[in-house]
Amino acid sequence: MSIENQTKVVKELVNVFGEENVTDTKVPRLYRAFATVKREVFRDVVKYLKEKHGFVHIVTISGVDMKDRYEVVYHLRSEGFNMNLKVPVPKDDPKVPSITDILNGAVLYEREVNDLLGVYPEGHPDPKRLILDYDWPEGVHPLRKEWDIQTLRQKVDGQKWGKDVE
Amino acid sequence: MSDRQFVIPIGPQHPALKEPTSFYFTVDGEVVVDVEPRIGYNHRGIEKAMEVRNYIQNLYITERVCGICSNAHQTAYTGAVEEAGGIEIPERAKYIRVLFHELERIHSHLLWVGVAAHEIGFDTMFYYVWRDRELVMDLLEEISGNRVNYAIPTVGGVRRDISKDNFPRWHKVLDALAERTNYYIKVASTEQTILDRAIGVGYLSKEDMIRLSGVGPNARCSGVPCDTRKTAPYLLYDEIPFEHIYVDNGDVLGQVLVRVLETLEAVKICKWVLDNIPEGEIAVKFNPMQKLPEGEAVYIVEAQRGELIHYTISDGRNMPYRHKIRAPTLGNIPSLVERLKGGYIADIPITLAGIDPCFSCTDRMVFYDEGKDRSWVWDEEQLRRYGLEWYKK
Amino acid sequence: MSILTWARTRSPWLIHFNAGACNACDIEVLAALTPRFDVERFGGVLKGTPRHADVMVVSGSVPRKVRERLKRIYEQMPEPKFVVAVGSCAISGGVFQDCYNVMEGVDKIIPVNAFIPGCPPKPEAILDGVVKLLVSAGY
Repeated sequence: MSIENQTKVVKELVNVFGEENVTDTKVPRLYRAFATVKREVFRDVVKYLKEKHGFVHIVTISGVDMKDRYEVVYHLRSEGFNMNLKVPVPKDDPKVPSITDILNGAVLYEREVNDLLGVYPEGHPDPKRLILDYDWPEGVHPLRKEWDIQTLRQKVDGQKWGKDVE
Repeated sequence: MSDRQFVIPIGPQHPALKEPTSFYFTVDGEVVVDVEPRIGYNHRGIEKAMEVRNYIQNLYITERVCGICSNAHQTAYTGAVEEAGGIEIPERAKYIRVLFHELERIHSHLLWVGVAAHEIGFDTMFYYVWRDRELVMDLLEEISGNRVNYAIPTVGGVRRDISKDNFPRWHKVLDALAERTNYYIKVASTEQTILDRAIGVGYLSKEDMIRLSGVGPNARCSGVPCDTRKTAPYLLYDEIPFEHIYVDNGDVLGQVLVRVLETLEAVKICKWVLDNIPEGEIAVKFNPMQKLPEGEAVYIVEAQRGELIHYTISDGRNMPYRHKIRAPTLGNIPSLVERLKGGYIADIPITLAGIDPCFSCTDRMVFYDEGKDRSWVWDEEQLRRYGLEWYKK
Repeated sequence: MSILTWARTRSPWLIHFNAGACNACDIEVLAALTPRFDVERFGGVLKGTPRHADVMVVSGSVPRKVRERLKRIYEQMPEPKFVVAVGSCAISGGVFQDCYNVMEGVDKIIPVNAFIPGCPPKPEAILDGVVKLLVSAGY
């Protein structure tokens, strides 16, 4: 595994899927690479990486609330080489296609992103709540930047409390 | 679901996952047919809290994500922040970080061996192992001041230095640990009571493990070579001579072997560090008000239970914009579910303890027989005793 | 003192409950059973069910999902019962104050008789706390 090999893999992705679909690629150091992939081709990119380059292991899935969009970051790994794919999702349509049929290990991570950030995985076999309490109100996703600690408490408990309030 | 099948909920306190967890087992007679995990009892909202604290305050929170892997979390956190900020740490700091990483691995694996012995009913071994574990706890307390939560890594280096006068005594302690671990390897591989409860229990093949993205010793006991210290070395692991431990048993005996052999390797690494540590500074200056440049970084380390990832995004302030942590046990749950299917109820405690979820707590277990509409309550003690008697027959 | 008090304080049966803790306090509680520190010389035994227990040892900042379970387990213990809160998370939330899912402190859910501070408290401190509780109960 060397930086030349990693750059070759990333360039191949750009060639196969097109420059408008795979953007912002960088290889900052050995064993790491980043790329931004459009939502429409994203499932094909994951399938391609799994079959041609051995990316069979999914490390985790992170959800980030950027100011004008959500980004779902998929961290894949193949024998030490860690590839991170960022999928931008518009805020008025928070959905992303599920990859549990390609990589079975992603089943719990997609539920977590749905629970905490509110990005729904379409095609997931069992998209239930994973982490938050059973009677947590619907539509309140704590990781979104619109909530902070006191507004969350106001919404869930009905009142603000804690040491900044008194 | 046929007439003979009924659902048993176990949890939320359980022979533990890192989090108190609840499982719903669908059983048919004695055999487990399906498992549904329910987690979230330990969700404290850490990732949200880290966004409003600066980088030094976040050290204290990452330490307490898990009490047994606290040093691994701090190593990963400081690695990610330093990579995002372009901060280089001195060589001596790297050696001290590796020393603590491995000492924590020793203490955690010995803890696990004791707990697993308790789960199969071998209480004597539990007490013996935890008494020997006190050797490494004393060493940790002597260097860092605390038995748990050592607070050694900081952004820019480490907080405390180690003095060369103590090295000969520490070598003797490490040799004593290696000798006791060899004794436990002999016990685990020859004692018939352990072998009866461990061979063939909770088996998972290599293909299934790769398909379900298992991590850590759980994956290495099924033959997947996935130790991050070997495949993607960080800190000094590309220079240190040690073995990549993986076996292809795939059952609980494999779990035991992988962890005990890793303890021996960890002792070797600690001795190498003590012999080769250079002189020098231990930290670069980093104050809490210092702003980090914009950027992002991913840092993966091999914690005791598997691969641990910290992903940090910085937007130019002195607080992280987003910090994501994924602990290894969450990655092991899909493979745990597959291990439990097809096994007996009596094997549930040892299979659950086998993947090394953080630790053993008390539990309530309710049997609900839908056909006869009766319910009775068992606790973990009774479940364990049930398992022991079932195997006596 | 009555024979009941004498019997109860000379052999307190403990149950341990992890209400959403990071596990550091829990391994120190388990270490208090091991031969180095040994709570059994005070008569204490770790039991598996609340129905047999006199003293409940709780650790952890209490996340929302655990609240109901904690209350239920407390109610299943027979009178007289005592609760010991171990660690700074159980006293006031610890490091996790101002986190959205954390109820700060076990004493907001159930009444507590003894607080043992520390993060985590050493096993000797835990034994000291349990013994002080027994002394105040009439040992």
